[in-house]
Amino acid sequence: MRQRLRDPVTGLLFVLPVLVLFLIFRIFPALGAAGMSLTNWNIGGEWSFVGADNYARLLDDTIFWTSLRVTLVYVAVYVPLTLLVSLGTALLLNQVVFLRGLFRGMLFLPYVTSFVLAGVIWRWIYEFDGLINGVLGKAGLGPVAFLEQSSLVLPALAVVSAWKGFGYSMLILLAGLKAIPGSYLEAARVDGASAWQRFRRITLPLLKPALFFVLVIETISAFQTFDTVYVMTGGGPARATYTLIYGIYDHGFRSFDFGYAATWGMVLFALVLIVSLIQRRFLDRGNT
Amino acid sequence: MTRTRQRWPLVALLGVLSVLTVSPFAAMLVVALSPAGAPTLPAQWPDSLTLDNLTRVLSASGFVGWTVNSLVYSVVSVVIILLTASMAGYAFAKKRFPGRQAMFWTFLATMMVPFQATLIPTFVLVNSLDGVDTFWGLIVPTLANSQAVFLMRQFIMGLPDELFDAAKVDGASELRVYWTIVVPLTRPVLATLGVFVFLWHWNDFLWPLVVGQSDATRTLTVGLTTLRTEEMQLSVLMASAAISVVPCLLVFFLLQRYLVNSIAMTGLK
Repeated sequence: MRQRLRDPVTGLLFVLPVLVLFLIFRIFPALGAAGMSLTNWNIGGEWSFVGADNYARLLDDTIFWTSLRVTLVYVAVYVPLTLLVSLGTALLLNQVVFLRGLFRGMLFLPYVTSFVLAGVIWRWIYEFDGLINGVLGKAGLGPVAFLEQSSLVLPALAVVSAWKGFGYSMLILLAGLKAIPGSYLEAARVDGASAWQRFRRITLPLLKPALFFVLVIETISAFQTFDTVYVMTGGGPARATYTLIYGIYDHGFRSFDFGYAATWGMVLFALVLIVSLIQRRFLDRGNT
Repeated sequence: MTRTRQRWPLVALLGVLSVLTVSPFAAMLVVALSPAGAPTLPAQWPDSLTLDNLTRVLSASGFVGWTVNSLVYSVVSVVIILLTASMAGYAFAKKRFPGRQAMFWTFLATMMVPFQATLIPTFVLVNSLDGVDTFWGLIVPTLANSQAVFLMRQFIMGLPDELFDAAKVDGASELRVYWTIVVPLTRPVLATLGVFVFLWHWNDFLWPLVVGQSDATRTLTVGLTTLRTEEMQLSVLMASAAISVVPCLLVFFLLQRYLVNSIAMTGLK
């Protein structure tokens, strides 16, 4: 025991590889992002200090405000959609015994694939001669231009991400449901509570921690949407899907305006930080 | 809990939702197996099925190269992350050394910084080290994984101290303790973590997109996006997509139960 306490060298040696990786590729770039946002860094690596110019430019940049609005609208569509689908499927899986393993596997399947694959498949599904319009056409409807209309394109993308990602939240919520003692629900049933009352008064309150976790995780992942946008719309039409990350990519790797792109990165960081701090606050309150 | 009788309307609803969820994959597969240029979904079911598209994709040099690159990117990352994270997790859990707490909390804090927010400086750094379009430039920046370190540390903290003390008393060296005690006892969590790291890297897109600029290091996800329907028949595109998902499906079918349990237990995403 004493030997363990006085063993500074081996401890450090075991941490060393991770420490070096973190210092160089996580911490240095994190500080670098803040630093670069104060410069006009370009592709040639030339730069000079420009103070808060990039931030002032951001405030005057209509593309930035469009992008922020697009991102927030996307979050507002994607998060409730994903929560609803994952809660619904988790509740069903919790009730059904027949073929449960098979159904759970089928529902979870898209989660192990990539957003790029989801984008490639769904771009075809949404096309004029794609799957949905084919079905609509048989019913004498459509065609609908899902990806070419500003009003439809964000919900269309949110559906793709929800399809790809809901399996994860479904499993978290299913575990939360399984942790609710059956005797609570049984007692309520004996007392004559309806199915809705049992759900509203017992299941939902006891599921709150899992729901909250899923809400935070899905919100943060919605802020980081890029792959489906890149594959399906390229930020269009008319910047209707120009998310923050797409803005970082566009300014960094199409215009090579690294300083300004880093400034967009700082906005993303601030948004994710706010969500994390809100989470921390609620968790603290939940513990006391 | 009393066993309630099966509610068949719920079973039916769940069945419909499950079939809807996998139907995009089924449609992809039908198109991938349709003869190139022949009528297929959504207009009609194909008259015949063929493996021609799949063999055509697999004989295209670009596609095979991307697949190999994706495998290198994923497998090398899995091996190094498992090794470094378990070593660090062991030290954080069972060793006392100066700066331990501060280091650990710094690692945790970096979890709050999304990778995309540091994309530009990371790229500039790798570029200045001539790492663009190289395998090390692709792989090394993704190895600093705080989720992995955190998970290993939590798991190893639960192992009894006596195990390590006993080995020390017997005169085992530190490396021997790591290799004969830590690694075997953490095998289940190493396996879980390995599966996740593999999926993260196999499905990764943004970093490979900016770093892998030629076919030499381009991964499968990035390669897929260079295939456009204008130049290429839909059936060939869908065949490429179908092949790209095979490793994920293998992982899924072999380890589904495992994945499902570990998500609930660890919250890994």
